Amino acid sequence: MQHDALAHTEDFGGPDRHQATHAGRPGRDAPYQNYTLGLPFDEMFTRKGEIHPHYAALDGRLTTLPAGELMRRQQACELSFLHQGITFTVYSDNQATERIIPTDLLPRIVTAKEWARVDAGLKQRITALNLFLRDIYSDGRVLKDGVVPRSMIYGSKHYRREMRGLPVPHGAYINVCGSDLVRNEAGDFVVLEDNLRVPSGVSYMLANRDVVRRAFPAVFRSMNVRAIEHYPNELLSTLRSLAPFHEDVSIAVLTPGVFNSAYFEHAFLARQMGVELVEGRDLLVNDNVVYARTTSGLKRIDVIYRRIDDDFVDPLIFREDSSLGVPGIFNAYRAGNVIIANALGTGVADDKAVYAYVPRLIRYYLSEEPILNNVETFLCREEKSLSHVLANLDKLVVKAVGESGGYGMLVGPHASKAEREAFAQKIKSDPDNYIAQPTIQLSTAPTFVDGGVEPRHVDLRPFILHGEHTTIVPGALTRVALKRGSLVVNSSQGGGSKDTWVLSE
Amino acid sequence: MLSRVADSLYWMARYIERGEHTARLVAVKLESMVEQSREEADAAWHRVVGALSAEEFAPKAHDAYTITQALAFNPRNPSSLVSSLRLARDNARQVREQLSTEVWEHLNKLYLRLQPVTTDAVWGHHPARTFREALEDFHTLEGVVYSTLSHNEGWHFLQLGRHIERAQLVSRLLDLHFRNLSGSTAPKYFDWLVLLKFCTAFEPYCKAYTAAIRPEKIAQFLIFDSEFPHSVRFSIDRVCDALERVATSAPPARRAAVERLAGKLKATVDFGQIEELMSGAIVPFLADVTHQCEQIHDSVHLSYITYGAETVL
Repeated sequence: MQHDALAHTEDFGGPDRHQATHAGRPGRDAPYQNYTLGLPFDEMFTRKGEIHPHYAALDGRLTTLPAGELMRRQQACELSFLHQGITFTVYSDNQATERIIPTDLLPRIVTAKEWARVDAGLKQRITALNLFLRDIYSDGRVLKDGVVPRSMIYGSKHYRREMRGLPVPHGAYINVCGSDLVRNEAGDFVVLEDNLRVPSGVSYMLANRDVVRRAFPAVFRSMNVRAIEHYPNELLSTLRSLAPFHEDVSIAVLTPGVFNSAYFEHAFLARQMGVELVEGRDLLVNDNVVYARTTSGLKRIDVIYRRIDDDFVDPLIFREDSSLGVPGIFNAYRAGNVIIANALGTGVADDKAVYAYVPRLIRYYLSEEPILNNVETFLCREEKSLSHVLANLDKLVVKAVGESGGYGMLVGPHASKAEREAFAQKIKSDPDNYIAQPTIQLSTAPTFVDGGVEPRHVDLRPFILHGEHTTIVPGALTRVALKRGSLVVNSSQGGGSKDTWVLSE
Repeated sequence: MLSRVADSLYWMARYIERGEHTARLVAVKLESMVEQSREEADAAWHRVVGALSAEEFAPKAHDAYTITQALAFNPRNPSSLVSSLRLARDNARQVREQLSTEVWEHLNKLYLRLQPVTTDAVWGHHPARTFREALEDFHTLEGVVYSTLSHNEGWHFLQLGRHIERAQLVSRLLDLHFRNLSGSTAPKYFDWLVLLKFCTAFEPYCKAYTAAIRPEKIAQFLIFDSEFPHSVRFSIDRVCDALERVATSAPPARRAAVERLAGKLKATVDFGQIEELMSGAIVPFLADVTHQCEQIHDSVHLSYITYGAETVL
C-alpha cells in the first residue's frame, strides 16, 4: 500500500516493447540534450557517444517515455521515501520539516564481469586487512619485518592498546566493511577508502532498489539484475557465526538513538533481522555479563552489532563523557562474555597512511598481487616520494594522515603559488604526517536533473560481510554528486544516492 | 520486551488516543454550534476547552476560530492535535523496528498531512471536514494496529496506554458536564446530545435507552456500560486485561503491586451505582477513577520500566 503512486507506472508488456529503434545520442536527443561527455569515464556512453550495451534497455525506456513521465516517477520515489521516514528533520521558526535524503531515479548498472573483479578484489582486501589487524594486536610480525613502520601503528590515535592479545572469533576483526570504489579515467575500479569502523548506507542500497524497481519494472525484469534483498539475512548469519558458544544466540543492534542521522538504518536492520534495537541506556553490565533491561527482568545479550564509534562504547575505558555507551562493557568483552562487531580498534587499519600500504599487505600476507588497485598514493615519509610530491604540488592533492573531513588538506591545482609554498614547508617539517594523490576524475553516470538526463560523478560502496565466511551481496550504494561538475558525493554536502544494478552472467 | 520499548509503545498509544479525542471533540463542536445560541455555544466551547485542559492556550476565548487554533494547531499546546501527533510519531520512531510498515506509514502520513495545516486554510470551507477526515485516518490506524501487529506484549502495552488515556479523558469530559447541573451555563438538552456524540455514543445509547435523553441514563451508559468501547468501565476492563498480559515473567512481588491497584480500580467501577452518584457523588467518583489511573501509571512505570537493576540481580 505504501507505494500507490508507483504501482502502475509501467505496464508489464515485456522488454521488447520498449526497445527504441535507434539509441539516444548525448547532447542531441531527448532526454540527453544536456549530456556532455568530457574527460571522465562515462558509465552509459562511450567517448564517441555510443551506448554501452548494458545501458541499452534503460536507454530504450528513457527515449520512449512521454515528456513529464520521468518527473512523475521521480516524485513518486521521493514521496515513498518521505512516507517511509527515510528523512532527517530540519527545524526553523519552531516548525519541523521533514527532508528526504536525495535519491536519483536512474539505476547505475554494473556488468557481471566488472562485478566479478570487484567481488574478488574486495574479498582479497578484507582478508589481508583482517590478518593485518590480528598481527598488530598480537605478535606484530609485519612491524618486525619492517613492512609497515612501527611508529605509524603505535602512534595512531585509532590503535587500541586494550585490544592487544585479545582473541576475536575466526580472527574476524572487521565484520562489516563498506569500501568506497571509484573509476579512474581508464574506466578501472580503484579503491579510494576502506571504511572499517561503522560504515553506513546499506539501508539506502535496499530502499533505492525497492522504489527504482517499481519505477522501471519491465527494464528491471529484462536485465536479470541480481537480488540484494537477502542482505539482512546474511548480516544475521555473519553475526551468529561470531558466537559459537550458544544454541540460542541473543543479538542486538546498538544505536546512539533516534537523533543519529543513520537511525533509520539502525531500526531498519534490527527489524529486518528480527533482533532487538538497543540504546546504551537499555544495557547494563553485571559480573562481566551484558544484560538488557526488559519488562520482565534482565535478559542476557551475546552479540552486539554496534553502530557507535570505539570512543563512545565504554565510558570506563574510552571517553568518560560518553553517555551513548555502556559502562563496563569492555571488560565483559575482554572476558569473552559478549561479542562486539566490528571489533574495537579496527580504525587503525583505515587511516590514510595505512591505506597506502594495503597493496603491500596483500602481497605480504597472501603472496598475491592485488586484484583491485589503490588510487596511486605517495607517502611523504619515503624520500623518493617526498621529492616527487614537492616537485608536483600543482598536480596533487595532499592530505594530513590523522585528519579527515577536508582538514589539513591542499588541493594543488586549485591552490595559489603562495599556498603551495607554505604547504611545502609544512610537509618538509613533518613528512610522516602527509600523503599525496593525483586528482582523480570520478566516472559519471546518467542522472535525472531538471527534467532531463545529465552526467554526474558517482562512486560505488559495496558492503562486505566477514565472519566465519566472507560474503558480498551483489549490489552497492552508488553515491552521486548532484551538483554539475562536483566530485563530492557525501550526503552532507549535496550528494544523493542511486540504485545499483549488478547483472548476472 | 525492552523496558524502553514498552514505555514508548505505551506513550505512542496514549498520544494517538489523545489526538483522536481532540479531533472528535473539535469536529462535533464545530458541527453542532450552528444549532445553538451564542450563549449556549460559548458555554459549550468552555467545557470543550476544559475537557482538553487547554485553558492556558484559549483563555476566555469565545470565538470558535481562536479555540480551534488552540486545540488543533497550536504547537505550543502540548495536548493540541498536532502536538499529540508529533509526540505519537516521535515515540513510534523510537520503536520503529517493533512496528509494522503499515502502522508506521499510516501514522507518519497522518502526521505529515496535518503538520503544515493552518486554521486559516481550514476555515474557508466547512472547517469540520478536516477533523472528520483526521478521524477517519485515526480509525484506519486503529484497524491497522489491530490487524498488522502481533498481539504480543508490545500490543498489550499499546492497549494499556490507549485505555488508561481514554478512561481519564472520558472521566474529565463527564466531570465538566456533571459538575454544574443548574444555573444558566448548565448543559441543556442539546448539550447532552452533543456529549454523547463526543463519545461516538449517540446511536449505541439510543439502542440501550431509546432516544430519551436523560443525564442519569447518559452517566449510567458512559460510566458503567461494560460493552460500549468509550465507556469508563469498558476502558478499565481493557486496562486490567492488558495488565494481566504484560511482564508475565516479572518477579511476583513487582507484579503484585500493579495487580492490587488494578483490582481496586476494577472493583470501584464494577460495584459503583448510578443512584449513589446522582445524589452529588459523581464528581468525586470521577476524580477517584482518574486518581487511581494515575496510580496505576506510576506503578507500571516503577515495576516494569525503571525498576532498579539491583532488585533483580
